[in-house]
Amino acid sequence: MKTIIIGLGNPILTDDGVGVKVAQLLEETIDMDAHPDLTITEASVGGLRLMETLLGYDRVVLIDAYYLNQQTNEPGKIHHLSLDDLRSVSPTQHSTSAHDTSLVTALDAADKMGYKVPRDFIIYAVEVENILEFSETPTPAVAKAIPVVTSEIIAELSLKTL
Amino acid sequence: MERITIDPITRLEGHGKIEIFLDKNGNVENAYLQIPELRGFEQFSIGRPAEEMPRITNRICGVCPEAHHMAATKALDALFDVEPSSAVKKLRELFYCSFYVTDHTVHFYALGGPDFVLGPDSDPAERNILGVIHKVGVDIGIQVIECRKRNHEVIKMLGGRGIHPVAGLPGGWSKSMTKDEQKIILEYAQQNVDFALFSLKLFDDVVLANQAYVDLIVSDAFTHETYYMGTVDEKNLINFYDGMIRVTGPDGKEFVQYPANDYTQHIAERVEPWSYLKFPYLKNIGWKGFVDGMDSGVYCATPLSRLNAADGMATPKAQEHFDRFYETLGSKKSDGRYLPIHHRLATHWARLIELLYAAERMQELAKDPEILDPNVRPIITNTPTEGVGSVEAPRGTLTHHYKTDENGILTDVNLIVGTTNNYAPIAMSIKKAAQGLIKNGKVTEGLLNTIEMAFRNYDPCMSCATHSLPGQMPLEIQIHDADGNLIDTLSQYID
Repeated sequence: MKTIIIGLGNPILTDDGVGVKVAQLLEETIDMDAHPDLTITEASVGGLRLMETLLGYDRVVLIDAYYLNQQTNEPGKIHHLSLDDLRSVSPTQHSTSAHDTSLVTALDAADKMGYKVPRDFIIYAVEVENILEFSETPTPAVAKAIPVVTSEIIAELSLKTL
Repeated sequence: MERITIDPITRLEGHGKIEIFLDKNGNVENAYLQIPELRGFEQFSIGRPAEEMPRITNRICGVCPEAHHMAATKALDALFDVEPSSAVKKLRELFYCSFYVTDHTVHFYALGGPDFVLGPDSDPAERNILGVIHKVGVDIGIQVIECRKRNHEVIKMLGGRGIHPVAGLPGGWSKSMTKDEQKIILEYAQQNVDFALFSLKLFDDVVLANQAYVDLIVSDAFTHETYYMGTVDEKNLINFYDGMIRVTGPDGKEFVQYPANDYTQHIAERVEPWSYLKFPYLKNIGWKGFVDGMDSGVYCATPLSRLNAADGMATPKAQEHFDRFYETLGSKKSDGRYLPIHHRLATHWARLIELLYAAERMQELAKDPEILDPNVRPIITNTPTEGVGSVEAPRGTLTHHYKTDENGILTDVNLIVGTTNNYAPIAMSIKKAAQGLIKNGKVTEGLLNTIEMAFRNYDPCMSCATHSLPGQMPLEIQIHDADGNLIDTLSQYID
């Protein structure tokens, strides 16, 4: 199964880059020679550009920062989401000024146009604390989650480590 | 004076919010789009080697990393006082025009276009790229994706990396172009020209052929008479990569032309108590409030502004469409140049003319035999001190300003990102839209849609970071009474 693991986020925006840091740790840990069908990459894009990166793969693992609201936020908490979970967050899929559309809308559009859209999505979302300040260092709770998510992905995909 | 702006209408609850303040009679007094400010970029950068900036600043933004990469690279040229060779300039501009093609394409087809293709009164849930392909056919969607795909390939080929380019060096470009690459790029450039012409035809068929849309474009609700900013070449024609910053007045006359490194003499910032945004304005006109006219220092920097600030386009087909744009919208010539078009919704059309220019310019540059010169990495000998680099980002003039010690270690960093230029005009457009629909405290239906149309034509980029999940948040409009109390909140989900 052709699989791509994508760490999403901005690696210089404190916790925003948690996905990128997981992807980097996976790259250091996994025996890539044992998995010729596996690609690990990072991206700080959404919507169409992210969708374009995924075309042609059977399975996608996304790792991203998650921030819903201040009241319930628990930095470091790991969520395991499906594409339907993302779909349910935005009931109307209406694009606006952020210069892109949502991933779900982009995937639906690609599907309609006949592109090979991955069917199998695994999404890890880590609740974050600070995504408004520039820093390469995540906050402590988020930093702790990085090896945990990494191990969970290795176990879920039965990956061989070095 | 740090001004990194932004992300997220898409990211944080309570952000990406429009606030409307009413007066005692319940009519609109002020309105603005609230954008969260990312903090600490200056501190993050200080102490790092300046030559890292093209690779660091392209991380600020997930939407236009290429623009930051280019402005940073040009700031290094100035900082190390090294004039890039003609081949280097052409390679950079070719790379940059390819980026413009992708960027303007996504705005027209995924963001701005749907308002027209599906109609301003259509269901917001349908007004996206899915709705567009539903209405005008799957083939168009495929063309959009293929256009982006081939240009991303060019960006990777020339920039060394897919999403975050790495090729920029002080005075140079880390990679020259091969003959094989030239052949591919020429082929792609031709396809881009065809695609741009096709898009302009679509605009004709869908928008200009519909009198109701034309009436909407020229309606007073979406019109503001301000100054316009854009970068021009020595013939006063539009250039995205390099040139002088030209500002023209609401009367169409040139107000000033200056090199990017003089920007502090021409641009100042207004601070208002009700917003943490700083509003840039023309220093030598002065701040007179959020008002139109010759005496108001408010300026605008968008595709429409670039057309208004220039005398024309530097490529033949784009020039034809430039003429047609002004003639169709009823502009007359004065002193050899068209009087400005002040209708903000015409920005969507202007964007497509720029798309065509970028495509034609790619052809010109890729064809030039000089572009194959392998000597693209000069040796730097000068001691760095200070440098300003500027390009036209799709969303407005982008300026990077660095100071270093004698070892090239950064001591000061200031950026003015494209959207920032337009904060005042965006606030004015939102206010005008709101004024038409809020009378004596009564809010008329359709306020959200009209306000979205009013600010979307500026293509404000709020992704100067990236997407955190969940990636979609409701756009909220909050209405406050004269005492600042929140009296109403309207929202709808947006991507």
